[in-house]
Amino acid sequence: MTVIRLENVTKTFGAVRAVEKLSFEVKKGEITGFLGANGAGKTTTIKMLLGFIRPDAGKVLINGKDPVLPLTRKSIGFMPEMAYYYPYLKVYELLDLYGGLCGMTKKTIGARAKMLVAKVGLSGTENRQLKTFSKGMLQRIGIAQAFLHDPDVYILDEPFTGLDPLARIQFRDLLQEEKRSGKTILFSSHELSEAELICDNVIILKEGKVAWRGTTAQVAGDGSQNLERVFLNIIGNDSWEGVAI
Amino acid sequence: MSIAILQISALIKVSLLELYRRKDLIVVLILGAILLLPIAFVTPFGISGSGTYFNEIALIMVWIFSIFIALGVSSRIFPNEFEKRTIYPLLAKPAGRGVILTGRYLGALTAAISALCIFYAAYILLCGIKQGVWFSEVLLQAFILHAGLIAVMVAIGMTGSLLMTPSANITLSLLVAFGMLFFGNRLPELAQGQGAIAKIALYSANALAPHIEFFDMRQRLVHDWPAVSWLVCVVVMLYAAVYSWVCLLIADLLLRRKRF
Repeated sequence: MTVIRLENVTKTFGAVRAVEKLSFEVKKGEITGFLGANGAGKTTTIKMLLGFIRPDAGKVLINGKDPVLPLTRKSIGFMPEMAYYYPYLKVYELLDLYGGLCGMTKKTIGARAKMLVAKVGLSGTENRQLKTFSKGMLQRIGIAQAFLHDPDVYILDEPFTGLDPLARIQFRDLLQEEKRSGKTILFSSHELSEAELICDNVIILKEGKVAWRGTTAQVAGDGSQNLERVFLNIIGNDSWEGVAI
Repeated sequence: MSIAILQISALIKVSLLELYRRKDLIVVLILGAILLLPIAFVTPFGISGSGTYFNEIALIMVWIFSIFIALGVSSRIFPNEFEKRTIYPLLAKPAGRGVILTGRYLGALTAAISALCIFYAAYILLCGIKQGVWFSEVLLQAFILHAGLIAVMVAIGMTGSLLMTPSANITLSLLVAFGMLFFGNRLPELAQGQGAIAKIALYSANALAPHIEFFDMRQRLVHDWPAVSWLVCVVVMLYAAVYSWVCLLIADLLLRRKRF
């Protein structure tokens, strides 16, 4: 079953064509890495997937529905690239806000928040305002708020940025756990080794188009390849013209 | 409880928490005391009746600062959300932009009215100490109408914040507010002696700009004049509600068209 679908999506900003005739699908229960160099169109695509901006042409669908509709976003958990949250709030107050926006009751928020705060390793920080948190701790809060309403689809923008090795392992385990329970995950990243470790599929963007897509097994090939080599081969190849696979 | 109410109340709660944690209300309390202390303790040159002037000055200061606080709070909310990128997690939740705008508006309004309550509490306290009058119908009307004005100013500030920078927005809104406070009721009269273009401009300003003078009960408070009819108050509050609603409708359109 297809959960995320993009069909011939194009988005331009003035003279800049950020995304051009982009098409791909992500199926239920898959973890897909969304890779590309800076300016490849990853964030623009993610913004369209969340309904922040509309495509100039083409279709963006989450569970068959337009993400511009608030109800569609009920099934999406989003973690932004930069973890900026309200500095005067405390952990549970922030989760209260996001839970409230998801229409969750106070009781449900309380139970989920407690479990997630422990899972992301922030127990004991409940009485501190977010302004005192480090970048890595804010990133952990970002994970907790994305998972709070138990969505079916996760769209994560550079989720590993700022996380220490232990937090990376915990987060990787959390993603695998969600995958096992049938959740669909799409994340953009520059961390190729992380992507190789946890992804079922990889999509590499170049200049707003799909330059390569395939499974992580395809990446390994005969064993002499790895994602870094594939990535460098595609991104570093100036003579590249169009979709390779 | 409907989901929209849950969403709006979550946003209001955050505004109040921020107001409390940033200690803004303490600043307002100090400001209120500084503005209003002269009423209670100063009788200049021992001239009886001169307290009226202090009363008038204190009230105009309350007006200026309450408008400034309303605009200051409302005109920074969205620019801060955009600049600090806190808008992204908000927009990603299943809340429409209209709900986010309403929640943010009501949050800013609650914060600005909290400041107004502090000003009026200080005013009542000091008038009570000095004149022995703790409550009057005029005072109640003055507070209610002032709250209506704050609702309008917050809506103007929020709409302007989606069009221009906070400093430009505050400057322009203050110009409109004080221009209308002092000259609003003279605009039709002024228009009559003008050329065609100036006439159109003045009549347009009269129709479009907020009539701040409708909310002004200062003279009645200072000179102990009788209260106005409650029907007048209801009509003025309806004007405030409609004006704020139109501003928020424009803000909603701007927010929907905003590129993130």
